[in-house]
Amino acid sequence: MLCHLADLDDGEARGFEVPGLKAKVIVVRREGRVHGWRDLCPHYAGGTPMAWKRDAYLNGARTHLACHAHGAWFDIETGACVQGPCLGKRLTRVPLRLDKDGGIHLDR
Amino acid sequence: MQIIGPDFLVFGVDDVPACHDFLTAYGLDPVGYSPEKGGRYIALDGTGLEIRRRDDPSLPPALKTGNMLRLQVIGVVDEAALSAVEVELSRDRQVLRLADGTLRTQDDQGFELAFQVSIRKPLDLPGEKVNAPYAPGRPVNAVGVTQDMPAKPRTLSHVVLFTPDIDTAVGFYRDRLGFRITDTLTGAGPFLRPQANPDHHTHFFIRTPPYMQGVEHLAFHLGGPTELMLAGSRMMEQGFESFWGPGRHKFGSNWFWYFKSPLGCNVEFDADMDTHDDTWAPREAPMGPEASQAFLLQWRAKWAPGGGPPGGPKG
Repeated sequence: MLCHLADLDDGEARGFEVPGLKAKVIVVRREGRVHGWRDLCPHYAGGTPMAWKRDAYLNGARTHLACHAHGAWFDIETGACVQGPCLGKRLTRVPLRLDKDGGIHLDR
Repeated sequence: MQIIGPDFLVFGVDDVPACHDFLTAYGLDPVGYSPEKGGRYIALDGTGLEIRRRDDPSLPPALKTGNMLRLQVIGVVDEAALSAVEVELSRDRQVLRLADGTLRTQDDQGFELAFQVSIRKPLDLPGEKVNAPYAPGRPVNAVGVTQDMPAKPRTLSHVVLFTPDIDTAVGFYRDRLGFRITDTLTGAGPFLRPQANPDHHTHFFIRTPPYMQGVEHLAFHLGGPTELMLAGSRMMEQGFESFWGPGRHKFGSNWFWYFKSPLGCNVEFDADMDTHDDTWAPREAPMGPEASQAFLLQWRAKWAPGGGPPGGPKG
């Protein structure tokens, strides 16, 4: 389990280390839905982590996921870059599964 | 042109308190900060950053790209140097002389510029001293490191810009303002130093598509590699996130450690940069991992060998 739904406020994002994955998994909750994304900005080949501080993945207005290396903004629901250096690219989705008790898991 | 380099960089950001947290942890001293209006963040010699809200009406217009850099305030040696900049740039663009004597204009790609007689206050602080065999750098009994020694940014070093047209940028900074090209990373762009500053670079341009125009990173000089390692380690211990480093660049020889930031660009600690004069012959190398650094390391939490062999006594 990555975390519990109750530990993630609406509009909040958190990053989780997952054994076997070189980058964290970002879990972001927005308007009642939970999305999973690899913590890899597609600006540079191979991807680079995006937060400026632990779990600081969102832009100031909390409307987009942001890479704090060079200011790329990503749509929280689709992962598409809407502003910045990787315009036209997108984040890699991580399928998530919600169990009946509100636990958030990788769906694999 | 007797230009020294950037005195201040001004940003219009969308999260002022986050920038305050970051820049104070980075070691700059806040002046006049409020969560509503932002503030100034000052290095030891008086250079620094100014952080305002993105919608602050006192700021120059934003770049169309969403990049948060709004103004470079460039310091020159004296009033005569300021007048020389004014005369040169007034030949083909509007240059405003503000009430405080500052010049305001734009470069040829829409980066907003101000020029002023530099506010830098020379520091009376020793640099890092290194003991080598037969060549002691420190007096006897002087220790090289303590856990809580200061490791504060001393001066604003350089700004790196994502630039859609390198030829246009060089045409302005070299041919109009008299900057010298010190080295070039082909595929990226040139390093430049102004005439009144021996540092390897105060500006570096990276060729990008127009939708990326803006600041790529900025850096302040620290007193030496030990200060850089301490300052970066303190950031890591507080949960800030490294982008690249620590390591040592080849061009410029400066030690580096870059951190992601809520300014929408990387913010670098830098130490022990080469200095040059006009006898220097510029080098060129293809941009890539080999040319970018002599070595690259990665931080980890403190650790020590100990505990004895498996099954053996502790300690």
